[in-house]
Amino acid sequence: MEMLGFLADGFAVALTPTNLALALFGCFIGTVVGALPGLGPVNGVAILIPLAFSLDLAPASALILLTCVYYGCMYGGRISSIMLNIPGDEPAMMTCLDGHPMALQGKAPEALAISAISSFVGAILATIGLMLFAPVLVRFAIHFGPAEYFALYLLAFAAIGGVTGTNPAKTLMAAGVGLALGTIGLDPTSGTERYTFGVFHLFDGFHPIVAIVGLFAISEVLLYLEHGQEAGPRAVIVNRAFAKWSEIRRTGGAMLRGSGIGFVSGVLPGAGASLGSFMAYTLEKRWSDRGGFGKGDPRGVAAPEAGNNAAAGGALVPMLSLGVPGSGTTAVLLALLISLNIQPGPLLFQTQPDVVWGLIAALFVANVTLLVLNLPLVGVFTRILTVPMWILMPMVVMVSFVGVYSISNSTFDLFVMVGFGVLGFTFRKLEIPVVPVVLGLLLGAQMEQNYRRALSISGGDHGILFASPIALGIYAATALLLGLAVWFAVRRRRGPAAHEEQAIGD
Amino acid sequence: MTLRLSDRIAGGIILLLAIWYWWVADGFRENFGDPVGPAAFPQMIAVPTAIFALFLILRPDPDPKWLRFPGVWRQVATLATLLIYPLLIEPAGFPAATFLGAGALARILGGSWLGAVIVGLAVGPGLWVVFDPLLGLPLPLLPKG
Repeated sequence: MEMLGFLADGFAVALTPTNLALALFGCFIGTVVGALPGLGPVNGVAILIPLAFSLDLAPASALILLTCVYYGCMYGGRISSIMLNIPGDEPAMMTCLDGHPMALQGKAPEALAISAISSFVGAILATIGLMLFAPVLVRFAIHFGPAEYFALYLLAFAAIGGVTGTNPAKTLMAAGVGLALGTIGLDPTSGTERYTFGVFHLFDGFHPIVAIVGLFAISEVLLYLEHGQEAGPRAVIVNRAFAKWSEIRRTGGAMLRGSGIGFVSGVLPGAGASLGSFMAYTLEKRWSDRGGFGKGDPRGVAAPEAGNNAAAGGALVPMLSLGVPGSGTTAVLLALLISLNIQPGPLLFQTQPDVVWGLIAALFVANVTLLVLNLPLVGVFTRILTVPMWILMPMVVMVSFVGVYSISNSTFDLFVMVGFGVLGFTFRKLEIPVVPVVLGLLLGAQMEQNYRRALSISGGDHGILFASPIALGIYAATALLLGLAVWFAVRRRRGPAAHEEQAIGD
Repeated sequence: MTLRLSDRIAGGIILLLAIWYWWVADGFRENFGDPVGPAAFPQMIAVPTAIFALFLILRPDPDPKWLRFPGVWRQVATLATLLIYPLLIEPAGFPAATFLGAGALARILGGSWLGAVIVGLAVGPGLWVVFDPLLGLPLPLLPKG
């Protein structure tokens, strides 16, 4: 098995003292950030990316740090779900349903332990799945030419529009806005200035990381202020430090089922972790509910947590092997890779196997570290929830500023970040998702390059875009996803409207 | 039935921007021998974006609640802090500017005056120590003279 050899090399990268220290630091910070209500993995990784980037870490080290932060946030997110009934991020929503009732019944240690263990199981199984499936996809994708890649990028936008957004028109419009913002700067092929207005700072375009920190972290602060201290949530008090093993053992089956469902929904483009935890919870409820779900059934904690973390691992499959991210967090990780001059895609597995396998090894290291860190330190992390926001928020904001400032040492980028923060706030108020904006900004340059490369091969004939069966297959999938998105949206619109009419009729 | 103005206004702004974006791209010069040129891709983006913006004008979703008092004042104050802070970094030096910025944010978020000063003191000089000498990121320490 050559794969095990690669993996051993990966562990050799991940287990150096520096990288282990980074992993430990990342896990700790990630858990803290994830535990803060409202700040999920996307924010955690977004805030810390500029640091990893400007500290001149080697690509593998930076990846290790940030995947640890990523998974740390996922572990931390469940703490606020269970203790406060406030999901740290969207995928943690399902954990609230049974986790918080468990905590109210005095079973907080069990709920926290179960969610930590099922997160671990889900993540480890998904990482194994990643090892098995990514190389297969790579072998297939190696035959892709520029026309196929162009189709693939279209598919990515259609996919994210189909499943994530409530209103597909808004999602796709947001993608267009992102793509448009991505064209600002010097055109790399012809050197033409596009939409720069002669402003020197815009020649290089917007740095995606600056945009990400603004769109996610700064807009989050502005949203938080809206209903900040109105209802101060009270954390449930934990009396015991250790969980009873008997409760945990009963959830084994739920963990495995949740992991499987989560991984599959993670691999699907655009689905991401939210769908993973949602599907895992719903199916587990159908499978084993005897009336206790929603009232503190431990399996209702295990399934969505395993699903959520397995989906996060599954989402790495298309991101690494095709360079097409399917979710917000993988988009942020892609931003990191591009900033480090690493272009994910089939070639990455051949040219820089140390990065790929180092990352896979890092996923294992991160999850083991998190499990070891989380079971005994849960008391410390829950204590963090009681630190008031007026202490934590200024720190989060200032770390974002430092990180962005350190990328270019220019105050111009700080204003760009605040500008993206206001844009993100406005979009999120209007329920226009911001992930497609980031995707557009990230993938725009690649998409345009592939488009132009394809057309220069054909001498300007657009027929080349539809010439190969692979490209046609991808377009068919794109059309199918868009059709599904429209169908879901129409049904959703009809649903409440039909109810209203009925009420009036009565 | 409300007018659902939020989505219509947003759609209108984006529609106008998309048209302008298409029109500006039309002025980009084509290079000899390059069959596509710098204008094709932007124009290709502009068309669907404009169509979706138009859809938003025609079929808007319900309005969100924009102003929630007293949150609005905190939002305005925060935004002002975020915009003034970058202007202070270079003239005042990082520790002093961050002391003011973090302190102001802590106060806006509901900390007491004393608490805000303590947060400012911890975050301002604290971050400078962590990042400049310890992590080796150059940050301006003192006012530029």
